[in-house]
Amino acid sequence: MEDELDRMLAKRDEIIPSSGFVASVMDAVHREAAASEPTPFPPLAFPWLRALPIFIALAAVGAMLIALFLHATRMPASATQGPLLPPAVMHALAQVNAGWIAAALALAFFSTFFSLRIAVGKR
Amino acid sequence: MSTAEDLADVERVLAGDIASFEGIVRRWQGPLVNMAYRFCNDRGRAEEMAQEAFLRVYRSLASWRRDAAFSTWLFAVAANLYRSELKRIPAQNVALDEIAELMDKRSHHAEYEIEDRDRVVRRAVLALPAKYRDAVVLYYFHEMDVPAASKSLGLPEGTVKARLFRGREILRSKLAQLLEAPKLKEA
Repeated sequence: MEDELDRMLAKRDEIIPSSGFVASVMDAVHREAAASEPTPFPPLAFPWLRALPIFIALAAVGAMLIALFLHATRMPASATQGPLLPPAVMHALAQVNAGWIAAALALAFFSTFFSLRIAVGKR
Repeated sequence: MSTAEDLADVERVLAGDIASFEGIVRRWQGPLVNMAYRFCNDRGRAEEMAQEAFLRVYRSLASWRRDAAFSTWLFAVAANLYRSELKRIPAQNVALDEIAELMDKRSHHAEYEIEDRDRVVRRAVLALPAKYRDAVVLYYFHEMDVPAASKSLGLPEGTVKARLFRGREILRSKLAQLLEAPKLKEA
């Protein structure tokens, strides 16, 4: 019985693909290739409007730093020996472990900076 | 089928010469269309499925690892696609329990044509639960080669053998009358 079943299942007339089959496949392949070709994207415009507040903030910080620097250079040497910040502010910073926070922020900044550099370099 | 020709064509296609894919299509159109035909029993659909298989092969040509024969990889890609296609749109077929009725109707004819009988068997195979059907179809497509069928299915040989055994058991129970027919004729 098994031999008979095998014979029946193995027996199969081979069909011959139609004459236009190869051409049809190649048309589809060419279409696929054309569709998958990268289309050149127009260059992205820099978002000046969105970046404007950041530029203003940066300019303000820069101006403040320059003003502080100029102020410090004009002061007598004895005045610059003392702490830069008022004692109350220094005390508050010590309370919140500002040193550690600054170190953590610096670490986060550098790790982000280097991972971005690696990612952009691999592209 | 030349492995060297396949390899050369694959290299050329990967280098950007799309026209070289035609060599692969010409060499493998017969086996891929016939494998699809075994799955769906419909010539037109078999060609559509084979075309889709060639497209998938073209898309994933770079993923062919040269440690396996090109034909092994090609059949595995095609078999995977055909199985998904049949899951999406099942082949037009009768239910397995209706096969017996089909045979009863046929048995009224005086001449029991062998061709008719083979057609009933083919329909019975396609009416099997998918996992048994796939094993049976690929085993007989690969001329009763279990390792080749297991590679096409991406399953261990033991699993394929078990499914093949179970599939044939079901067929034997459903086609008992049909399988006895030649013996009765001979007697």
